[in-house]
Amino acid sequence: MYKLRPILKPYYDNLEKGKIMGMKCQDCGDVVWPPLPTCQKCGSTNLDWIDLGTEAVIDEIRFEDSSVGGDYTFRKADEFFVSKEPYCVCVGHFPAGTHQFHAALYGVTEENKDELTSQLPFKADAEFIQLDGGFKSVGFRVRK
Amino acid sequence: MYAHTFLDNMTWMKGESNMLKQKFARPVSIIGTSSLPQRSFDDPEYKDLSIYELWAAACNQAMQDAGIKPKDVDKLVYSQMANFVTMGNVMSPVGSLEEWAGLAGKPVTHIEQACAGGYLAFNEAVNSVASGKYDIVMCAGLETPKHFNARNQPAYMLQPIQKYDGWWSPGRALFDTAYNRFDGVSDNLLTEEQGKYYIKHYGIDEKTLDDTYNAMAINLRYNASHNPHALERTPYSEIAKKAGYDDVMAYMRSDNNPKITQYIRKSGSVLHNVEAGAIIVCSADIAKKYQDHPITVIDHASVSNTQRYPFCFHQMNVDVRDALYGGQDNFNPDDLDLMITTVMTSGEQLDSAEVFGYLPEGKGYKYELEGRTRFDADRPINPHGGDLSFGHGFGCAGINMLSEAIMQMRGTAGGSQVPKPVNDVLVRGMGGGHTTVGILLENQD
Repeated sequence: MYKLRPILKPYYDNLEKGKIMGMKCQDCGDVVWPPLPTCQKCGSTNLDWIDLGTEAVIDEIRFEDSSVGGDYTFRKADEFFVSKEPYCVCVGHFPAGTHQFHAALYGVTEENKDELTSQLPFKADAEFIQLDGGFKSVGFRVRK
Repeated sequence: MYAHTFLDNMTWMKGESNMLKQKFARPVSIIGTSSLPQRSFDDPEYKDLSIYELWAAACNQAMQDAGIKPKDVDKLVYSQMANFVTMGNVMSPVGSLEEWAGLAGKPVTHIEQACAGGYLAFNEAVNSVASGKYDIVMCAGLETPKHFNARNQPAYMLQPIQKYDGWWSPGRALFDTAYNRFDGVSDNLLTEEQGKYYIKHYGIDEKTLDDTYNAMAINLRYNASHNPHALERTPYSEIAKKAGYDDVMAYMRSDNNPKITQYIRKSGSVLHNVEAGAIIVCSADIAKKYQDHPITVIDHASVSNTQRYPFCFHQMNVDVRDALYGGQDNFNPDDLDLMITTVMTSGEQLDSAEVFGYLPEGKGYKYELEGRTRFDADRPINPHGGDLSFGHGFGCAGINMLSEAIMQMRGTAGGSQVPKPVNDVLVRGMGGGHTTVGILLENQD
């Protein structure tokens, strides 16, 4: 029997504590982040929380200036971010994860992007992004 | 993960023109459609009108086209995405819409699946007939993306959408509030990822991609300039000349056509307009009572996903292609006479045309650069002008795209009629949330 339990609140509560939680399927081992109560690989609902740590492997840098505004259809993706520090989009994965993800990556500039790209894949630290709605989201920051 | 499994493994039946196999337990035909001019309520042509008059016109014109009366329609499937925002905060105006079309008391289903809604309304209408439950079903859509009526005013009192409380952003509304609206990434993926995919896999540089996207906008506007129903009809060559440019590509690369994202320029972004449209399908065994040349619905397929994993939009095209083409034994996309495909931003047309095999993989950009996708060239795409010039109205867009396919197949598309027999058409659509749909149509009668 599927057990009704909170998913979103524990996830966001843990972000406030500096922890990034995913869910691991106890039947097939697939790890999903952000968490979902149903395994995306085998369909099992036998998933438990897993602490994914606070560093990720960045596999790809997609340099684009987040301050470039869209038209009214495509509003800026960081609309709700408290800080408007520019960032780029990256593709990465957690060492304990089983899938690549997209995320915001801070610290990439026009000047250092070629050098950083030549170093891929590299590790980056989690950046807990403050949103104006009173909660946090997950991005990453290039290590200095 | 993104292997082109079906296309790579298939043995093409090149040169053969076998009829496609319709996939429904009860065959379904298209017998009627309507196409209203793509305008905005700011246009004098639509002065003093509301969405209700447009809806009534679309439904009645489709019924007249099919040679039927409202009493003949067994069921209505209606698609609209933003009725709550734009129609006075109404939840689902199904009863009144039925009345305006003379269909009061009939079963009606409201489809809301963002910009895929129109395609899915068509699929639902087809399924309703294919099931044997209904003989004649109308699917219809309406949308007014640029205006709204307030909750305390009647529908003809329209205001610009910018005045909507809280400034409604359809782009943001496509992302859920579990995680994706807050990741700082999703909007970028919506507009950029297909360009990223193309550069990464096919080795073209950013300048060539920019030229390809500009050429695509020029080609689509060329098509629209021959179509009086299109929203924007002035060719870019003419616009460039007025701005002092002899070379239209120089104009397209200039600040007159600014980049609104890393890859997408203003000319490569969807144009919104008020839309209403309708299509009537029926059981194939009675279709000839109403139409001399009904169009056969071969099959449809759809998938949905989120932007959770990289290249999600490309992957939806792959999944729909495999589901749709996998149902055919002897199918070669080279035999398609026409592709009509959603182009919210430039990358979508190129990616979908290649994934579905309408243009050769990794080489489709050359077709755009050489103008070969124009309505009068060898691989026409979106002869009506596509979302970049014909226009786009969210939940109604799919109905209008299918109507264009129907008119092209009948040879009644007017100035932008493809100048060759149009017997096999792929209509492929996409909407936020996200859903991609593929529909195969064939002239079999």
